[in-house]
Amino acid sequence: MEIDIIHNLAIGFGVALSWQNLMYCFFGVVLGTLIGVLPGIGPVATIAMLLPVTFNLSPISALIMLAGIYYGAQYGGSTTAILVNLPGESSSVVTCLDGYQMARQGRAGPALAIAAIGSFFAGCVSTVIIALFAPPLAEVALKFGPAEYFSLMVLGLVAATVLAHGSLIKAIAMTILGLLLGLVGTDVNSGIARFSFGLSELSDGIGFVQVAMGVFGFAEIITNLEQGESREVFVNKVTGLMPTWQDIKDSTPAILRGTALGSMLGILPGGGALLASFAAYTLEKKVSKNSANFGKGAIQGVAAPESANNAGAQTSFIPLLTLGIPSNPVMALMIGAMMIQGIAPGPQVMTERPQLFWGMIASMWVGNLMLVILNLPLIGMWVKLLTVPYRILYPSILMFCCVGVYSLSNQPFDLLITAFFGLLGYVFTKLECEPAPLILGFILGPLMEENLRRAMLLSRGDPSVFFTKPISGTLLFVSFVLLLIVMAPAVRKTREEAFQEG
Amino acid sequence: MKIKNGKDFWAGLMFMGFGLAFWAVASPPKLLVDLLTGSFGASTWGYPMGSAVRMGPAYFPAVLGGMLAVLGAMVFFRAFASSIQNPLKVFTFRPAVFIAAVVVGTIAFFSADGLKDYQTVQNLIVGIALVLFFGAFGPRALFVVLLAVVAYGYLLKPLGIVLATVVLVVMSALGGHDFRKKEIVILTVVMVLFAVFVFVKGLGLPFNIWPGE
Repeated sequence: MEIDIIHNLAIGFGVALSWQNLMYCFFGVVLGTLIGVLPGIGPVATIAMLLPVTFNLSPISALIMLAGIYYGAQYGGSTTAILVNLPGESSSVVTCLDGYQMARQGRAGPALAIAAIGSFFAGCVSTVIIALFAPPLAEVALKFGPAEYFSLMVLGLVAATVLAHGSLIKAIAMTILGLLLGLVGTDVNSGIARFSFGLSELSDGIGFVQVAMGVFGFAEIITNLEQGESREVFVNKVTGLMPTWQDIKDSTPAILRGTALGSMLGILPGGGALLASFAAYTLEKKVSKNSANFGKGAIQGVAAPESANNAGAQTSFIPLLTLGIPSNPVMALMIGAMMIQGIAPGPQVMTERPQLFWGMIASMWVGNLMLVILNLPLIGMWVKLLTVPYRILYPSILMFCCVGVYSLSNQPFDLLITAFFGLLGYVFTKLECEPAPLILGFILGPLMEENLRRAMLLSRGDPSVFFTKPISGTLLFVSFVLLLIVMAPAVRKTREEAFQEG
Repeated sequence: MKIKNGKDFWAGLMFMGFGLAFWAVASPPKLLVDLLTGSFGASTWGYPMGSAVRMGPAYFPAVLGGMLAVLGAMVFFRAFASSIQNPLKVFTFRPAVFIAAVVVGTIAFFSADGLKDYQTVQNLIVGIALVLFFGAFGPRALFVVLLAVVAYGYLLKPLGIVLATVVLVVMSALGGHDFRKKEIVILTVVMVLFAVFVFVKGLGLPFNIWPGE
């Protein structure tokens, strides 16, 4: 078993260390840091923009680059949070609380250093966790039939709604709306074009990139413009990166706890970087001896969430690589990238393409190393970027988004659809409807219908198979319990509080 | 009955609307179809329902649409008994503009066959409907930015990437709070150069640079 892993990792590093893949990895993490630093553009929009470009790359280079963008963004996000009190990335929201206070006290340097060190440590640990846990999980997944897959998707969607911000009913409704939107287009079984209203452009369905770009990218630009900009940058106050001994002593346990919690929450369907950082901050505040200091510049309040978000970002690749099921919108895009390359995501990827699988894992460690170097000595360069005003940034971002969407199939209609989802995304934000469950539902809609149909056909129309098959039954039971727990009044209250911290 | 939470009120309406729409398109009630089309029992609206063993294309969406409508109703009624207070006006909505958009859109839909030979006229009507539609919601930024995006899409081929980029950058810059001429001129030049040299020459995307190439 252990020898297997060493052997596999050796294959992986062989792939990841080829000069070509090193280059794409570097490109990915640089781009990730860049968009992480810049508020107003996130990994979802960036990966969506780059999808058409990856068509010309080899599958492994494409995935290495796109993965680098995601975890690179976690590093960059902390810089903006600490220096500007704006989350460069949504997963850095809680880092603002203590990081910005540290910057105001003239300790921006140590805060940035601890954030990078914590992220690096978490990145190393979670790389090992993926290597250890992915193979056994994939083996289990190979035994899955349609009923199990259906139940697994139910669990994934329930988890996503439970972990969404705000109202539970609205989150469930958004998931179902996502499932329905995913069904637009030609039905595989009957060949009938559903919900296309006679438009030939809709008979292939709505593209995932268009939905994600509209709901996340455009809607965010619009809300940012509506609010107007106000930033206070502590650009000149970054002096002396070295943390003191006391800082290191204080933050070591926080980094360890953050990494552990982040790794666990990343694996959960519906989890990922965002949830991990929130949970880690809350936990740290509970267990810390000087919890009164939190919010006033406690270094643990930077160390824990920053380690956790990087750990969560990386372990969220586990459900993608083993089950072929995305746990968050970024992973959904990774599925899109795999399909463009003609790879069906699922447990067979690991056995059929070990080079791809292990190469990607090894590249994460390599990428983390690059990120530490990029983020610590070169911090000044990233900080300069923050002085670029938003009024210059957003037309550029918009142009990249438009070119990205248009080049998918050279159809103006794609941009019209994206604009439509931009409008919807704006309405969702205003009505406090979290869009993440919608995106997951959108991806899973057709898959769920297909597996439901197959399972029902196999059971001759008897829906009880979902409960009587052991794995399927357990998955549904867990989903049910999750829902019950969230609806319990006590938990509901703490859940709301936990999300309010940001 | 007083609406306490405006956000829930509108969200509930929105979910009910989507749910009922999906359900009605997938499997419209027979009576309604008969009344609308006047062809009793012989209409072809909706998709086959199938059975639990062999689910037709209408099965899954009809069930989900129904569920969404029920959840929407729950959110809607919660708005009247909520402990959270939100004003009814959540964002700017211009009903008159919206109705105009629906009217023009309906005209465009039903005139499509008649105007087959007059594509420009048809496109113009659809264009007007879209402008009205995006103008019915929210702040100026939304209208300007989304319209810039759509314009870019439809201008890219006829005008080429240089002019389309100029339109996109200048138009979207107008959506912001302070528009500084000098800055935007420089930004536009940089973006055009970037688009031509990186996207077209570098990445080889199949866009024409100038009109009519």
